[in-house]
Amino acid sequence: MSEIEIGRLLRSGTTGFVVGCKVNQLNAPGFGAMVRVPLEAQYQVYGVIYDIHIEDDGLVRQLITAQDVPEEVLKDNRENRNVPVEIGVLVLGYEQEGRIFHLLPPRPPLSLDAIFLCSPSEVAHFTGQGRFGYFRHMLRDRDKPVEELLAAHLYQARAAQVDAGNEAWYQKAVGELITLMRDDYQGLIKTLSAVSEI
Amino acid sequence: MSEQSVTSSAEAQKPIGYIVGGGLKANLQARLTVPAQKVQEGAFVVVESGNWLFYGLVTDMQLGSTDPRFADEQTETRLPPELAKLLHGQTLFTNLEVMAALMMEQGPDMDEDPEAYQAWFQKVMEEEIRPEPVKTVPQHHSEVRLAGAGDIAEIFGKEGKKGYFRIGDTIEGGHPVCVDLDKLVQRSSGIFGATGTGKSFLTRVILAGLIKRDKTAVLIFDMHNEYGPDDTASDTGMRVPGLKGKFPSKVRMVGLGRGATIRGKTPDYTLEIAESDIMPEDILMLTQELNLRETTPATLNALFNQYGRDWFHKFKNMRPHAVQEDEEGNKVPADDSIEAWANEANIHQLAAIGLHSKLNRLFNCEYIVENPAGDAVNQMINNLDNGQHIVLSFGNHEKDLDYLFVSNLLTRRIRDVWEYRTNNFRSGHQGATEPRPLVIAVEEAHKLLNREMASQTTFSTIAREMRKYYVTLLIIDQRPSQIYDEVMSQLGTRITGWLGDSDDIQSVLTGLAGREALRGMLAHLQPKEEVLMLGWGVPMPIVVHSRRYDDAFWEELLEKKARRSNRDILRDIGF
Ligand SMILES: Nc1ncnc2c1ncn2[C@@H]1O[C@H](COP(=O)(O)OP(=O)(O)OP(=O)(O)O)[C@@H](O)[C@H]1O
Ligand SMILES: [Mg+2]
Repeated sequence: MSEIEIGRLLRSGTTGFVVGCKVNQLNAPGFGAMVRVPLEAQYQVYGVIYDIHIEDDGLVRQLITAQDVPEEVLKDNRENRNVPVEIGVLVLGYEQEGRIFHLLPPRPPLSLDAIFLCSPSEVAHFTGQGRFGYFRHMLRDRDKPVEELLAAHLYQARAAQVDAGNEAWYQKAVGELITLMRDDYQGLIKTLSAVSEI
Repeated sequence: MSEQSVTSSAEAQKPIGYIVGGGLKANLQARLTVPAQKVQEGAFVVVESGNWLFYGLVTDMQLGSTDPRFADEQTETRLPPELAKLLHGQTLFTNLEVMAALMMEQGPDMDEDPEAYQAWFQKVMEEEIRPEPVKTVPQHHSEVRLAGAGDIAEIFGKEGKKGYFRIGDTIEGGHPVCVDLDKLVQRSSGIFGATGTGKSFLTRVILAGLIKRDKTAVLIFDMHNEYGPDDTASDTGMRVPGLKGKFPSKVRMVGLGRGATIRGKTPDYTLEIAESDIMPEDILMLTQELNLRETTPATLNALFNQYGRDWFHKFKNMRPHAVQEDEEGNKVPADDSIEAWANEANIHQLAAIGLHSKLNRLFNCEYIVENPAGDAVNQMINNLDNGQHIVLSFGNHEKDLDYLFVSNLLTRRIRDVWEYRTNNFRSGHQGATEPRPLVIAVEEAHKLLNREMASQTTFSTIAREMRKYYVTLLIIDQRPSQIYDEVMSQLGTRITGWLGDSDDIQSVLTGLAGREALRGMLAHLQPKEEVLMLGWGVPMPIVVHSRRYDDAFWEELLEKKARRSNRDILRDIGF
C-alpha cells in the first residue's frame, strides 16, 4: 500500500468530510483524486476530492494591503500558516474485511484520522468492483461541479484500470453514466463534453 | 444447402429485441437491440414468454429516443466518435411494432423432464397442442427473435407433409413457407396484384401443386393461353413450361372451336357449343358486354317460350326487315322475318330487331354450331371425374365476349352436374359416390364477378356457397376492387402481390383483422415475386418471396422422391 499521507481529518459526516493539511503537503492530492481513511483494522472509508480551498485570515489580509513586505516574510507566511488548507472529500464507499461496498459507510471517520492518497492499484480495485454504484454519490449533489469531478475521476481511474489490464472499464463506465444521466439532457451533455476533453 | 440453413437457424435463435409494451388491441412494442437494417417490415418474429411462444409480424418500425433532444441534436459533431456512439447506443433506439397472431404452448425441457417432454410431444403430434389465436400478452422484456425454419414449419406446416406445398420462402432467412393445399381449395381463393407482379407465375406454381397432389380436379379458363402450352416470358424471354408438357396424360388441353390450334399445338380435343345449349340467362349475362336493352328479357322469354331450346337457332335464322308480297301484291314482313315473329309473339318489333343485331356477334361465333362434332362438355366432365385436369385455351378467341360467354355457360353446366351428384350422394342414392372436388381457375375474374354481373353468374354463386357442391374458385385478378365485395369477403385464402391502388388494397383486406397494419405491408411489397398471404386458409398473414417457377421447380416437384432418397442414402452411409 502506498503511504502518502495528505493530512488529517477536520470535520466529517456520513456523505463527506474535510481534510486539513499543511501547505507544503499540498503537492500530492489533486481534484478528482481518490483517498482512503483507514479507521480500524479491516475497515477503511474511500472518497474522492471534490474541493480544495484555502481560507483567509487577518494576517493574510494585512499582508496583502501592507506595502513593501519583504519576500521572505511573504514566503514564510505562505508556507507556515496556522490556517490549514481544506480538502473536501466526497465519500464513495468503504472496505470491510476485504470487501468493497459502494455504499455510505456505517461510521464516518473521526477527527484527526490520517488520510492517504489511493495508489493506482487501490483505485483500480475500488472502481472495478460491482457496477459503478459509487457514481450515485458523485451525482447526488448538484451544487458540486459534478461534470468536472466525473471527468477528472474518469481520467484518473481509466489510467489505473488500463494499468491493471482492464481496457474495457472506461467504456462501461461511460455507458453507465449515460444510463444514469439520460433523463437529464443538460447534465449529461455537459458531463460528456467535460469527459471528451480528457 | 444444409450448411446454410444451420447458420441461418443459429442466427434466428439470437434475440433481436425485447418487449417493452403494447397489448391485445394495440400491437406489441419491442425494443430493437440489433441494427434496424437486420429486420424488415413483415418479418416473422417469435416472442418467448415463459411457457408460451407468440408468433407475430413486424408491422412497423419507429425511431425513438429517451429524450427528443438526443434525437434533435447532432451530438456526433460535438463529441468524439467513441462517446457519441456510446451515447446513441443508450438514448436512441428503434421500436418494432409486432402484430401477434398466434400463440402456442412450449414443451418442457427435454433434458430436465424427459417424461413430461414426451407427453407434450405426443400431444403436439396428435395436434392437441396447436398454435391458437392470441388471447394474452407476453411478459415485459420477453425476448423477441426472428423465426427460424422450425417456427415457420410449426405454423405453416412442413414441406413433405401430406398436402403441404411450398409456395415460397420468408423474406428474412429464406425459410420455406407452405400452404395446406387441401385447405386452400376448401373455399374459393384469390390471387391478386398489379400487372407484372407475378400472379400468373404463382398460379402456375399452385396449379402444378394441385395437379401433383391429385385430390382435386382443376379446370382452368386460360384466356391468354398461358397455362396449357409452353410459353415465353414477355420480360425475360425465358421459356415458361406449360402444364400440358409436364403432365401430358393428366392434363387435357381443350381448344375452343373446330380446328383450333394453341400456340401452334393441336389441343387434345376441341370444344364447340351447341346452339341448343344456350339459355336466355347466358345471354342476359352479356347485358353489359353487348349493351343490351331492358326489353331484352321479355324478348328472350318469348323466344324461349315459343321455341324451347331451339330458340337460338331459330332466332339466328330470322331475317330482319325481310319482306314478301301478299296476295294483293303489298309488301309485308316475310314469314321468316323478325317483324313477323315479333308481331305474332306480341313483342315490339324494334326490340326484337335490336336484339337480333346485337346478338350478331354471337351468331358469327364459329365455335357456336348447330351440331357439334362431339359432346365436348360431357367429355370435359368425364375427364374431370377421372382424375384429369382441363385447360380450356381460348386460342384466338381472346375477346371479353368469348371469355364471358363460354366460361359462364360451361361453369353453369358443370356446376349443375356437381350439384346433382352432391345431392344424390348426400341423400344416399344407390351407387352415388362423393363428387371429386373441383377448382375452377379464372383469370381476369373481375370481368365475371363484378358488381353488375355478380347477381347473375354461376361464379358468384360458387364463391358464396363455399364448398357445398364440391366446387370452388381460384380467381386471379389485378383489380380486386372491381370484384363484388360479397364475393371478396367469401374468399378463404388471399394471396396478393403489390397493389398500387388504395381501393384495390382496401378490397383485398375486406373482412380481415388488423387491416391497418396489413395495408402498410401490402403497400411496401416488392413489385415482383413477393406476396402477402392472408385469410382463413393460412394460419396467420405472412409475406412470402414467391417460389420461383423454373426448371428447378419442376425437377423438385416431379422427381422429389428420387432426390430425397439419394440424400438419405448418403446420410445413411455416413456422409
Ligand atoms: N414465381 C416466379 N418465378 C419466376 N419468374 C417470375 C415469378 N413471378 C414473376 N416472375 C417474373 O415476373 C414476370 C411477370 O409475372 P406474371 O406474368 O406472372 O405477372 P402477372 O401478375 O400475371 O401480370 P398480368 O396481370 O399482366 O398478367 C414474369 O414474366 C417473370 O419473368
Ligand atoms: Mg398474368
